Amino acid sequence: MKKLIAMLLTSTMVLSMSATAFAADESDAAYVKEKGTLVVGITDFAPMDYKEEGSDEWVGFDADMAKAFAESLGVEVEFVEIDWDNKIMELDGKTIDCVWNGMTLTDEVTSAMECSNAYCKNAQVVVVPEDVADQYQDTDSLKDLIFAVEAGSAGEAEVTALELECTPVKAQADALMEVSAGTSDAAVIDLLMAAAMIGEGTGYENLTHTVELNSEEYGVGFRKGSDLAEALNEFFAASYEDGSMTECAEKYGVQDAIVEQK
Amino acid sequence: MEQIMEQMPIVLHSLNIGFLQTLKLFFVTLLGALPLGLLISFGSMSRFRPLGIFSKLVVGIVRGTPLMIQLLIIFYFPGLVLHNPIWGSGEAGRFTAASVSFILNYACYFSEIYRGGIQSVPIGQEEAGLVLGMTKTQIFFRVKLLQMIKRIVPPMSNEIITLVKDTSLARIIALQEIIWAGQAFMKGSQGISGQIWPLFFTAVYYLIFNGILTVLLSRLEKKLDYFR
Repeated sequence: MKKLIAMLLTSTMVLSMSATAFAADESDAAYVKEKGTLVVGITDFAPMDYKEEGSDEWVGFDADMAKAFAESLGVEVEFVEIDWDNKIMELDGKTIDCVWNGMTLTDEVTSAMECSNAYCKNAQVVVVPEDVADQYQDTDSLKDLIFAVEAGSAGEAEVTALELECTPVKAQADALMEVSAGTSDAAVIDLLMAAAMIGEGTGYENLTHTVELNSEEYGVGFRKGSDLAEALNEFFAASYEDGSMTECAEKYGVQDAIVEQK
Repeated sequence: MEQIMEQMPIVLHSLNIGFLQTLKLFFVTLLGALPLGLLISFGSMSRFRPLGIFSKLVVGIVRGTPLMIQLLIIFYFPGLVLHNPIWGSGEAGRFTAASVSFILNYACYFSEIYRGGIQSVPIGQEEAGLVLGMTKTQIFFRVKLLQMIKRIVPPMSNEIITLVKDTSLARIIALQEIIWAGQAFMKGSQGISGQIWPLFFTAVYYLIFNGILTVLLSRLEKKLDYFR
């Protein structure tokens, strides 16, 4: 009997806790303004969000645009490095307010987040060792290769769609390590990343990229149902119109990838 | 090799900052878990049944689930399910959540070591104390405690050294400890990208720190080498 009462008490306690916790739905923009800070979830990802050598400030195309957007809302901006796998949990748990880090707009992303309009283009490219690169210049030649791809990435989706054999790994960097170590024949990563990570002056001088598998677009993600996505679209349109967006893109060498905003 | 020498100062700077986080988490956990563990061990040994059962249940759940899951639940659960993000945003919140998870987890392991130590003192000593008219509290502090401390040093050293390495699990909630700092250079950070050696190099930090701890702990063990 005692046990039964104890169990009842515990379950009512848990229920009441969760009941009081469901606060009334307020506007996300109002929530951020009241808080006074826009918390931007990022990873270290040049040229979108990164730190210059010896500096402690986040810069990059995404970082600078995020600063300008926060200013337009009249709030402070705070950048927080997150584990990319947990981005949706971070958003819904309100530990961050948006994901602004060269995020490809895939079906998974758009169904779980309120996304802004696309603002930047990118492509998935095949990475192979330089000495065999001339054998793999078109999609047909890729048939016999074993690929390493980041689990859950746009690259994995492409490889699966082409019915190629692949090994999912933890990150795009791990995929490159696989190719470099010879444990996979090729990797699929995104173009902006490939430009920064392989070739001359990097740890992967023996690798190069060949076939472009698809093109994709980057967007900014907010909590599902958030009115901040609309606010950002308006901000993007205004800054494209007055040229400040292009100016910012030129600073980081991504001006060719910018998508027109209207 | 030349390239590594060039990158060394930048990498070491990052790793040092990361290792400082690792050390902070390590010391905060010890500071919290050592006393909390003692409380939990009293709970498990309590003759008040509900408290005994509750303590054993907590220890059972904490020891029976991976620390990584505990970190994820403690950090994300308040915001996701209770809609009350108690940890706030920013890096300080992540550190607090990680500290809470580690203290709870390690207190449970410590509590069992304490319990073993306390119960290893022969019952005859307690009986002798009672005959002499000592209270239970006096018996605990004047008779049992020193013997317990002496006996638990080897198993505690084990847990403490494991704790140093376990702090790396906190990277799952993006606490930027040394493994996180090392991994950053694989993807690209501060102009260095596609480098695997900084990650491997973090092992040196762990090895040196654990070496120092091992020496200190074995000295402590020798110091406590009284009444055998």
